[in-house]
Amino acid sequence: MRKAVMTFLTAAVIAMPVVDATAAVKATAKKKVVIQRFTGSSAQVDRWGTVQVAIVVRKTTTTTGTKKRVTRRITAVTVPVYPNHTSRSSYISANAVPILRSEALQAQSARIDLVSGATDLSNAFVQSLQSAILKAKRA
Amino acid sequence: MGMPIVVDVRDESVDDAVLDRMFEWFRRVDATFSTYKDDSEISRLGRGELALEETDPDVRLVLERCEQLREETRGYFDAHAAGMLDPSGLVKGWSVDRAVEFLHQADLRNFAVSAGGDMRVSGRAVPELCWRVGIQHPRERREVAAVVEANDLAIATSGAYARGDHVVDPHTGRPPAGVLSVTVVGPELATADAYATAAFAMGPHAGPRWTARLRGYEAMTICADETVLTTARFPAA
Repeated sequence: MRKAVMTFLTAAVIAMPVVDATAAVKATAKKKVVIQRFTGSSAQVDRWGTVQVAIVVRKTTTTTGTKKRVTRRITAVTVPVYPNHTSRSSYISANAVPILRSEALQAQSARIDLVSGATDLSNAFVQSLQSAILKAKRA
Repeated sequence: MGMPIVVDVRDESVDDAVLDRMFEWFRRVDATFSTYKDDSEISRLGRGELALEETDPDVRLVLERCEQLREETRGYFDAHAAGMLDPSGLVKGWSVDRAVEFLHQADLRNFAVSAGGDMRVSGRAVPELCWRVGIQHPRERREVAAVVEANDLAIATSGAYARGDHVVDPHTGRPPAGVLSVTVVGPELATADAYATAAFAMGPHAGPRWTARLRGYEAMTICADETVLTTARFPAA
Protein backbone atom coordinates (compact mmCIF):
# COMPACT_ATOMS: atom_id res chain seq x y z
CA MET A 1 0.00 0.00 0.00
CA ARG A 2 2.72 2.41 0.91
CA LYS A 3 4.28 1.48 -2.38
CA ALA A 4 1.15 2.52 -4.24
CA VAL A 5 1.19 5.93 -2.58
CA MET A 6 4.87 6.40 -3.29
CA THR A 7 4.34 5.38 -6.88
CA PHE A 8 1.72 8.05 -7.14
CA LEU A 9 3.95 10.62 -5.53
CA THR A 10 6.85 9.95 -7.78
CA ALA A 11 4.57 9.59 -10.81
CA ALA A 12 6.66 6.69 -11.95
CA VAL A 13 6.62 5.43 -15.46
CA ILE A 14 6.92 1.70 -15.76
CA ALA A 15 8.43 0.53 -19.00
CA MET A 16 8.72 -3.16 -19.62
CA PRO A 17 9.72 -4.69 -22.93
CA VAL A 18 7.97 -7.96 -23.67
CA VAL A 19 9.10 -10.48 -26.21
CA ASP A 20 6.28 -12.31 -27.87
CA ALA A 21 7.19 -14.72 -30.62
CA THR A 22 3.60 -15.37 -31.63
CA ALA A 23 2.98 -11.79 -32.72
CA ALA A 24 1.91 -11.30 -36.28
CA VAL A 25 4.69 -10.42 -38.66
CA LYS A 26 4.08 -6.99 -40.11
CA ALA A 27 6.32 -4.33 -41.59
CA THR A 28 4.63 -1.37 -39.93
CA ALA A 29 4.27 -0.67 -36.20
CA LYS A 30 0.90 -1.39 -34.68
CA LYS A 31 -0.24 0.23 -31.46
CA LYS A 32 -2.74 -1.07 -28.99
CA VAL A 33 -3.81 0.96 -26.00
CA VAL A 34 -5.55 -0.46 -22.95
CA ILE A 35 -6.64 1.72 -20.08
CA GLN A 36 -7.29 -0.05 -16.81
CA ARG A 37 -7.97 0.88 -13.21
CA PHE A 38 -6.18 -0.89 -10.37
CA THR A 39 -7.10 -0.68 -6.70
CA GLY A 40 -4.52 -1.16 -4.01
CA SER A 41 -5.15 -3.02 -0.78
CA SER A 42 -6.30 -0.92 2.12
CA ALA A 43 -3.75 0.05 4.73
CA GLN A 44 -3.74 1.49 8.20
CA VAL A 45 -2.69 5.14 8.43
CA ASP A 46 -1.38 5.63 11.96
CA ARG A 47 -4.43 5.63 14.16
CA TRP A 48 -6.51 7.76 11.86
CA GLY A 49 -8.08 5.02 9.80
CA THR A 50 -7.40 3.19 6.59
CA VAL A 51 -6.48 4.45 3.17
CA GLN A 52 -6.82 2.88 -0.23
CA VAL A 53 -5.46 4.15 -3.51
CA ALA A 54 -6.57 3.39 -7.04
CA ILE A 55 -4.54 4.11 -10.13
CA VAL A 56 -5.47 4.28 -13.78
CA VAL A 57 -2.83 2.80 -16.03
CA ARG A 58 -2.55 3.35 -19.75
CA LYS A 59 -0.86 0.35 -21.33
CA THR A 60 0.49 0.81 -24.80
CA THR A 61 1.58 -2.23 -26.78
CA THR A 62 3.59 -1.42 -29.88
CA THR A 63 4.14 -4.25 -32.31
CA THR A 64 6.80 -3.91 -34.97
CA GLY A 65 7.27 -7.09 -36.96
CA THR A 66 7.77 -9.80 -34.34
CA LYS A 67 8.87 -7.37 -31.65
CA LYS A 68 6.50 -6.14 -28.99
CA ARG A 69 7.11 -3.26 -26.65
CA VAL A 70 4.82 -2.57 -23.72
CA THR A 71 4.79 0.74 -21.87
CA ARG A 72 2.67 1.45 -18.83
CA ARG A 73 2.01 4.93 -17.58
CA ILE A 74 0.02 6.03 -14.55
CA THR A 75 -2.49 8.55 -15.80
CA ALA A 76 -4.60 9.12 -12.72
CA VAL A 77 -4.56 8.44 -9.03
CA THR A 78 -7.59 8.46 -6.81
CA VAL A 79 -8.04 7.76 -3.14
CA PRO A 80 -11.41 5.99 -2.85
CA VAL A 81 -10.88 5.17 0.82
CA TYR A 82 -9.16 7.58 3.14
CA PRO A 83 -9.22 8.06 6.90
CA ASN A 84 -12.52 9.72 7.71
CA HIS A 85 -13.46 8.67 11.17
CA THR A 86 -13.73 12.36 11.97
CA SER A 87 -14.75 15.11 9.59
CA ARG A 88 -11.46 16.78 10.29
CA SER A 89 -9.21 13.94 9.24
CA SER A 90 -11.44 13.45 6.22
CA TYR A 91 -10.76 17.07 5.30
CA ILE A 92 -7.05 16.53 5.85
CA SER A 93 -6.88 13.46 3.63
CA ALA A 94 -9.03 14.82 0.86
CA ASN A 95 -6.93 17.94 0.59
CA ALA A 96 -3.52 16.71 1.47
CA VAL A 97 -2.96 13.77 -0.80
CA PRO A 98 -3.25 15.46 -4.19
CA ILE A 99 -1.25 18.59 -3.45
CA LEU A 100 2.00 17.20 -2.12
CA ARG A 101 4.82 17.28 -4.62
CA SER A 102 7.61 14.77 -4.46
CA GLU A 103 11.17 14.86 -5.68
CA ALA A 104 14.45 13.20 -4.83
CA LEU A 105 16.78 14.65 -2.26
CA GLN A 106 19.84 16.25 -3.78
CA ALA A 107 22.61 18.57 -2.76
CA GLN A 108 22.71 22.02 -4.28
CA SER A 109 25.27 24.74 -4.42
CA ALA A 110 23.90 28.22 -4.87
CA ARG A 111 24.23 31.79 -3.69
CA ILE A 112 22.69 31.81 -0.24
CA ASP A 113 22.39 34.47 2.44
CA LEU A 114 21.49 32.25 5.38
CA VAL A 115 21.01 28.59 6.19
CA SER A 116 18.06 27.06 7.99
CA GLY A 117 18.74 23.79 9.79
CA ALA A 118 17.79 21.80 12.85
CA THR A 119 18.63 23.53 16.09
CA ASP A 120 21.96 22.42 17.41
CA LEU A 121 24.34 24.18 19.72
CA SER A 122 27.24 22.28 18.19
CA ASN A 123 25.93 22.60 14.68
CA ALA A 124 29.12 24.11 13.43
CA PHE A 125 27.94 24.17 9.86
CA VAL A 126 25.01 26.52 10.20
CA GLN A 127 26.59 28.84 12.68
CA SER A 128 30.00 29.06 11.13
CA LEU A 129 28.59 29.49 7.67
CA GLN A 130 26.30 32.26 8.86
CA SER A 131 29.08 34.06 10.62
CA ALA A 132 31.35 33.61 7.62
CA ILE A 133 28.64 35.08 5.39
CA LEU A 134 28.28 38.02 7.75
CA LYS A 135 32.01 38.54 7.70
CA ALA A 136 32.15 38.30 3.95
CA LYS A 137 29.38 40.86 3.58
CA ARG A 138 31.23 43.27 5.81
CA ALA A 139 34.62 42.79 4.22
CA MET B 1 18.17 29.39 25.60
CA GLY B 2 21.88 29.23 24.89
CA MET B 3 21.87 29.76 21.17
CA PRO B 4 23.58 32.35 19.04
CA ILE B 5 21.33 35.01 17.58
CA VAL B 6 22.53 36.60 14.39
CA VAL B 7 21.14 39.88 13.09
CA ASP B 8 22.11 40.80 9.58
CA VAL B 9 21.01 44.35 8.66
CA ARG B 10 21.31 45.34 5.02
CA ASP B 11 19.86 48.86 5.29
CA GLU B 12 22.22 51.69 4.43
CA SER B 13 22.56 52.90 7.98
CA VAL B 14 21.74 51.38 11.31
CA ASP B 15 21.93 52.92 14.74
CA ASP B 16 23.95 50.67 17.06
CA ALA B 17 21.66 51.69 19.91
CA VAL B 18 18.75 50.01 18.11
CA LEU B 19 20.66 46.74 17.90
CA ASP B 20 21.77 47.05 21.52
CA ARG B 21 18.15 47.43 22.60
CA MET B 22 17.17 44.43 20.51
CA PHE B 23 19.82 42.23 22.11
CA GLU B 24 18.72 43.54 25.48
CA TRP B 25 15.26 42.15 24.62
CA PHE B 26 16.73 38.71 23.90
CA ARG B 27 18.63 38.76 27.19
CA ARG B 28 15.40 39.60 29.01
CA VAL B 29 13.58 36.75 27.26
CA ASP B 30 16.34 34.36 28.28
CA ALA B 31 16.22 35.52 31.91
CA THR B 32 12.43 35.05 32.01
CA PHE B 33 12.00 31.84 30.02
CA SER B 34 15.21 29.84 30.37
CA THR B 35 14.73 26.33 31.75
CA TYR B 36 18.46 26.28 32.50
CA LYS B 37 18.16 29.15 34.98
CA ASP B 38 16.74 28.19 38.35
CA ASP B 39 15.48 31.71 39.02
CA SER B 40 13.68 32.24 35.70
CA GLU B 41 9.91 32.66 35.91
CA ILE B 42 9.43 29.48 33.87
CA SER B 43 11.59 27.43 36.26
CA ARG B 44 9.80 28.87 39.30
CA LEU B 45 6.41 28.31 37.67
CA GLY B 46 7.39 24.72 36.84
CA ARG B 47 8.39 24.07 40.45
CA GLY B 48 5.14 25.57 41.69
CA GLU B 49 6.87 28.47 43.46
CA LEU B 50 5.15 31.07 41.32
CA ALA B 51 1.44 31.28 40.49
CA LEU B 52 0.44 31.89 36.89
CA GLU B 53 -1.24 35.18 37.87
CA GLU B 54 2.04 36.41 39.34
CA THR B 55 4.00 35.91 36.13
CA ASP B 56 4.99 38.45 33.51
CA PRO B 57 2.14 39.02 31.01
CA ASP B 58 4.47 37.72 28.29
CA VAL B 59 4.73 34.39 30.11
CA ARG B 60 0.96 34.02 30.11
CA LEU B 61 0.81 35.05 26.46
CA VAL B 62 3.40 32.43 25.49
CA LEU B 63 1.77 29.66 27.52
CA GLU B 64 -1.64 30.48 26.02
CA ARG B 65 -0.19 30.28 22.53
CA CYS B 66 1.51 26.96 23.44
CA GLU B 67 -1.87 25.60 24.45
CA GLN B 68 -3.53 26.79 21.20
CA LEU B 69 -0.74 25.18 19.21
CA ARG B 70 -1.02 21.95 21.17
CA GLU B 71 -4.67 21.74 20.10
CA GLU B 72 -3.95 22.81 16.52
CA THR B 73 -1.25 20.15 16.18
CA ARG B 74 -3.34 17.38 17.79
CA GLY B 75 -0.92 17.29 20.71
CA TYR B 76 2.23 16.92 18.64
CA PHE B 77 3.52 20.31 19.75
CA ASP B 78 3.51 20.12 23.52
CA ALA B 79 5.32 22.43 25.95
CA HIS B 80 5.20 19.54 28.42
CA ALA B 81 6.55 16.92 25.99
CA ALA B 82 9.77 16.50 27.96
CA GLY B 83 7.88 15.83 31.17
CA MET B 84 8.37 19.36 32.49
CA LEU B 85 7.20 22.84 31.53
CA ASP B 86 9.42 23.91 28.66
CA PRO B 87 7.96 26.43 26.20
CA SER B 88 11.39 27.00 24.54
CA GLY B 89 10.02 25.59 21.28
CA LEU B 90 7.77 28.61 21.02
CA VAL B 91 9.81 31.21 22.87
CA LYS B 92 12.61 31.27 20.35
CA GLY B 93 10.38 32.08 17.39
CA TRP B 94 8.14 34.38 19.39
CA SER B 95 11.10 36.45 20.62
CA VAL B 96 12.44 36.72 17.05
CA ASP B 97 8.98 37.83 15.83
CA ARG B 98 8.98 40.55 18.51
CA ALA B 99 12.49 41.62 17.54
CA VAL B 100 11.37 41.95 13.92
CA GLU B 101 8.49 44.21 14.98
CA PHE B 102 10.92 46.25 16.98
CA LEU B 103 13.32 46.64 14.04
CA HIS B 104 10.43 47.65 11.77
CA GLN B 105 9.41 50.28 14.31
CA ALA B 106 12.98 51.56 14.21
CA ASP B 107 12.49 52.06 10.44
CA LEU B 108 14.73 49.21 9.40
CA ARG B 109 13.40 47.38 6.36
CA ASN B 110 16.03 44.98 5.04
CA PHE B 111 17.39 42.52 7.55
CA ALA B 112 17.40 38.95 8.80
CA VAL B 113 17.19 37.73 12.39
CA SER B 114 18.34 34.17 12.87
CA ALA B 115 18.27 32.11 16.06
CA GLY B 116 19.77 28.65 15.99
CA GLY B 117 18.96 27.89 12.37
CA ASP B 118 15.47 29.42 12.36
CA MET B 119 14.91 32.91 11.05
CA ARG B 120 12.84 35.81 9.85
CA VAL B 121 13.94 37.67 6.75
CA SER B 122 12.62 41.10 5.85
CA GLY B 123 12.90 43.14 2.69
CA ARG B 124 15.83 42.39 0.44
CA ALA B 125 19.35 41.09 0.92
CA VAL B 126 20.64 43.60 -1.63
CA PRO B 127 18.67 45.96 -3.87
CA GLU B 128 16.85 44.06 -6.65
CA LEU B 129 17.32 40.74 -4.86
CA CYS B 130 15.30 38.84 -2.35
CA TRP B 131 16.78 36.79 0.45
CA ARG B 132 17.98 33.33 -0.48
CA VAL B 133 17.86 30.93 2.43
CA GLY B 134 19.44 27.51 2.08
CA ILE B 135 17.75 24.55 3.71
CA GLN B 136 20.49 22.44 5.16
CA HIS B 137 20.96 19.03 3.57
CA PRO B 138 20.39 16.58 6.43
CA ARG B 139 23.05 14.14 5.26
CA GLU B 140 25.57 16.33 3.44
CA ARG B 141 26.04 18.94 6.11
CA ARG B 142 28.04 21.26 3.93
CA GLU B 143 25.39 21.31 1.24
CA VAL B 144 21.92 22.67 1.06
CA ALA B 145 18.99 20.54 -0.09
CA ALA B 146 16.88 23.45 -1.32
CA VAL B 147 16.90 27.22 -1.54
CA VAL B 148 13.96 29.37 -0.44
CA GLU B 149 13.57 32.79 -2.02
CA ALA B 150 11.61 35.37 -0.07
CA ASN B 151 11.25 39.01 0.87
CA ASP B 152 9.34 38.70 4.14
CA LEU B 153 9.17 35.26 5.61
CA ALA B 154 9.78 33.08 8.64
CA ILE B 155 11.71 29.85 8.02
CA ALA B 156 11.99 27.10 10.62
CA THR B 157 13.56 23.66 10.30
CA SER B 158 13.11 20.79 12.70
CA GLY B 159 15.21 17.66 12.37
CA ALA B 160 16.94 14.84 14.15
CA TYR B 161 20.28 15.04 12.43
CA ALA B 162 21.81 17.83 14.47
CA ARG B 163 21.54 17.16 18.17
CA GLY B 164 20.51 13.56 18.17
CA ASP B 165 16.84 12.77 18.52
CA HIS B 166 15.74 15.85 20.42
CA VAL B 167 12.16 15.89 19.15
CA VAL B 168 9.94 13.17 20.54
CA ASP B 169 6.42 12.18 19.64
CA PRO B 170 4.54 13.22 22.78
CA HIS B 171 2.08 10.36 22.18
CA THR B 172 4.76 7.66 22.30
CA GLY B 173 7.67 9.43 24.04
CA ARG B 174 9.94 8.22 21.26
CA PRO B 175 11.60 10.07 18.41
CA PRO B 176 9.79 9.67 15.09
CA ALA B 177 11.31 7.36 12.49
CA GLY B 178 11.52 7.99 8.80
CA VAL B 179 11.84 11.78 8.66
CA LEU B 180 15.14 13.64 8.44
CA SER B 181 13.82 17.18 8.61
CA VAL B 182 10.75 19.35 8.21
CA THR B 183 10.97 22.98 7.13
CA VAL B 184 7.95 25.24 7.56
CA VAL B 185 7.71 28.77 6.16
CA GLY B 186 5.09 31.44 6.75
CA PRO B 187 4.45 34.84 8.30
CA GLU B 188 5.35 34.11 11.94
CA LEU B 189 8.41 32.28 13.18
CA ALA B 190 6.76 31.17 16.44
CA THR B 191 4.03 29.35 14.51
CA ALA B 192 6.33 28.06 11.75
CA ASP B 193 8.69 26.61 14.36
CA ALA B 194 5.90 24.92 16.31
CA TYR B 195 4.41 23.49 13.10
CA ALA B 196 7.82 22.18 12.01
CA THR B 197 8.32 20.49 15.37
CA ALA B 198 4.82 18.97 15.27
CA ALA B 199 5.04 17.79 11.65
CA PHE B 200 8.42 16.24 12.36
CA ALA B 201 7.02 14.39 15.36
CA MET B 202 4.10 13.11 13.25
CA GLY B 203 6.45 11.10 11.07
CA PRO B 204 6.78 10.51 7.32
CA HIS B 205 3.12 9.70 6.58
CA ALA B 206 0.91 11.84 8.77
CA GLY B 207 3.34 14.79 8.84
CA PRO B 208 3.36 15.80 5.16
CA ARG B 209 -0.42 15.31 4.93
CA TRP B 210 -0.96 17.50 7.95
CA THR B 211 1.28 20.27 6.57
CA ALA B 212 -0.62 20.22 3.29
CA ARG B 213 -3.70 21.65 4.95
CA LEU B 214 -2.03 24.44 6.93
CA ARG B 215 -3.30 27.92 6.14
CA GLY B 216 -0.68 30.51 5.30
CA TYR B 217 2.18 28.10 5.93
CA GLU B 218 4.03 25.85 3.49
CA ALA B 219 6.25 22.91 4.29
CA MET B 220 9.02 20.72 2.94
CA THR B 221 9.61 17.28 4.46
CA ILE B 222 12.80 15.33 3.80
CA CYS B 223 12.14 11.63 4.39
CA ALA B 224 14.72 9.03 5.38
CA ASP B 225 14.29 7.33 1.99
CA GLU B 226 15.52 10.64 0.48
CA THR B 227 12.25 11.71 -1.03
CA VAL B 228 11.41 15.36 -0.54
CA LEU B 229 7.74 16.21 -0.15
CA THR B 230 6.68 19.84 -0.54
CA THR B 231 3.30 21.47 -0.24
CA ALA B 232 1.94 23.12 -3.36
CA ARG B 233 3.17 26.66 -2.75
CA PHE B 234 6.47 26.03 -0.98
CA PRO B 235 8.72 28.87 -2.25
CA ALA B 236 11.71 26.75 -3.35
CA ALA B 237 13.88 28.52 -5.90
